[in-house]
Amino acid sequence: MTEFWNPYAPLDSRRRRLLGVGAALTVLLLWSVVAASGLVSSTKLPAPWEVLAALSYLSWHDGGSMLFTATLWSVGRLLVAGVLVISIGIPIGIVMGAAPQVNAALSPLVDPFRSAPVVALLPILVMWLGIGETMKIAFLFIGAVVYLIPMVRDAIQAVPQSYWIGARDLGATPWECIHRAVIPMAMPRIADAVIVAFSVMWTYITVAEYVNAREGLGQLIQNARRFSAWDQVFAGIMVIIALALATYQLMVWLKRRLYPWETQL
Amino acid sequence: MNLEAAKPVAAASAAAAKPVAVVIKDIVQEYPAPGGGVTRVIDKVSLSFDQPGINMLLGPSGCGKSTILHMLGGVRPMGVDTPTAGSVLIDGVECHAPHDDAVMVFQRYANRPDLSVFDNVAFPFRLKLWRSQVPEVDWRQRVADILKAVGLSDKVGLRPAQLSGGQNQRVALARALVLRPRILLMDEPFGALDAQTREEMQQLLIGLYQDWPCLVVFVTHDVTEALMLGDRVIVLSTQPARVADDFLIDEARPRSAAWQRSREAQALEERILNQLHQASPGRGQVRVTV
Repeated sequence: MTEFWNPYAPLDSRRRRLLGVGAALTVLLLWSVVAASGLVSSTKLPAPWEVLAALSYLSWHDGGSMLFTATLWSVGRLLVAGVLVISIGIPIGIVMGAAPQVNAALSPLVDPFRSAPVVALLPILVMWLGIGETMKIAFLFIGAVVYLIPMVRDAIQAVPQSYWIGARDLGATPWECIHRAVIPMAMPRIADAVIVAFSVMWTYITVAEYVNAREGLGQLIQNARRFSAWDQVFAGIMVIIALALATYQLMVWLKRRLYPWETQL
Repeated sequence: MNLEAAKPVAAASAAAAKPVAVVIKDIVQEYPAPGGGVTRVIDKVSLSFDQPGINMLLGPSGCGKSTILHMLGGVRPMGVDTPTAGSVLIDGVECHAPHDDAVMVFQRYANRPDLSVFDNVAFPFRLKLWRSQVPEVDWRQRVADILKAVGLSDKVGLRPAQLSGGQNQRVALARALVLRPRILLMDEPFGALDAQTREEMQQLLIGLYQDWPCLVVFVTHDVTEALMLGDRVIVLSTQPARVADDFLIDEARPRSAAWQRSREAQALEERILNQLHQASPGRGQVRVTV
C-alpha cells in the first residue's frame, strides 16, 4: 500500500485504472438509483438505459444514422477551423515569440481575448458574416486561436538561450537561429498548444452550431432539447465528450511519435 | 615569447590552422547593476595571442572570464554592448559579430535532442555560411573523420539522450572542430563532468589539438586543469577582472601524474593560488583536484 498523502509516490497502472473505473461505475450506479427510484422525474433526468436507447436510436433508425451524419458535419467544421487556426495562429505566435517588438505590439491585442467572453462574439459574427458556414468556422477559429497564439509565443520564449547562442556562434544568421535552432526546439510545446486548441474547439462546437445549423452535433442536441428529448440531449453530449477525448488521445499519441525526445529537453 | 617549445611535435599532423593574431586591448566591461548604476566586471585587460597553443584563462567563478571569451567569439548573450571600452582585434580587424575564425564550446553542450549525433555535428553545414563554402561530399567526409577522432564512430545514429555527459561533450567538441577553426574557445567545457570523465576529455583534447593545432583559449576555474593542459596560464582576479599573473609552462603534453607531483608543478600551483588569494581575498571559488 502506497502512502496516501504523498504526491510523489508512483501508483501502478493497474491500481490507477481500478480507481478510475471504480469512480465512474459509482457515479453510474448513483445515477441509476436516482433515476429508478423516481425521486427525479425521467423528463428531468433520463436513466442511463434511456440514454443508451436514445444513442442506439440516433445511431440507426429508418435506414439512416443521424448521429453519423451529424458527427461528420461537426468534425468537418472542426477540421476546417483547425487548419486555419494552425496555419494562421502558429506563424503569428512564432513571430511574436521570436521578435520582442512584434510581441510588444500584438500582445495587447491578443492576450485580453484569452479571458474575453468569446461566446458573446457570436451575435456580432452573425451580424458580420451571416448565418452560414463562414460564421460557424470563424467562431471556432476565434475561440481557439486566442488560446493558441499566446501558447505558441510562450513555447518559443521557453527555448533555452544556449541553443540560440550556439547557433549564432556557428555562423547562423539571426533568422537561421530562429528557424534552425529555436523553432525545432519549441515544436513539442507548439504541439501542446494545438492539442489545447482542438479541445477548446470541441467545447465551442455546440455554440457554433446553435444558430441555423441543419446538420451537426450541436444542432442534434439543440433539436432534441426543443422537443424535450432529454435522453437524446444526454446522448449527444456524451458523443461530443467521447469525440473530444478521442481527438485528444490521438493527438497526444501523434505528438509522442513526432517528438520522442521532448522529455529529455 | 616562444610557445613552440612547449607544444608537442605533431609529426603526423596533416593540416594546421593558419596562425591568427588576437589582440585584446584595454578592454573594460560594465553591466547595468540591479540597483541602478553599473558594475565593472572587467577592468582594462590587455592580452595578445599570436601562436597556436593552449591558453588557460583561470580565475574564480563569476570573474568575467566567460565574458572575455564571448568577446573573442563575437557573441553577445547579454544583449549589452561588448566591450564597454577597449578593443578586440583579430588579425588586426575589430571583432563585433560572430566570425568564421572562432568556434565556441560551452559547458552546457547545447546539443539538439531531436538530432542524431551525426546531424548534431553536421549542423553548421546546414547553415548558409558553411553550406556555400564546403561541398556536401567534403563535409560528410569531415563529419565522419571528426566523429572517428572523438571516438563516436559507432554512435552516429544515436540521440543525445542516449549518450553520457562525456559523450555529449565529445559531440560538442566535434561540432566545433569539424569547422577547422583557427580559434577554439572553450568555456569551462568539462566543468559539469565527473573527475574521471573530465580527465578522459582532457586527454582527448590533447590528442585533437595535436591533429589540429589552433589557438585554444580555455576558460576554467580548475587549477589542476590549467596546469595539465596549458601552454600558457593567465590568472585573472575578480570583480573586476584584471590580469594577476601570466606565465608559460614548458612541459610536453600529456603531462604525467609524476610531473603533477613534481616540485615544479607544485611551485606553479602555489604561485597561482597565492595570486588568486592576493587578487581577490575571500571572493569567488577555485577548485583544486588531487
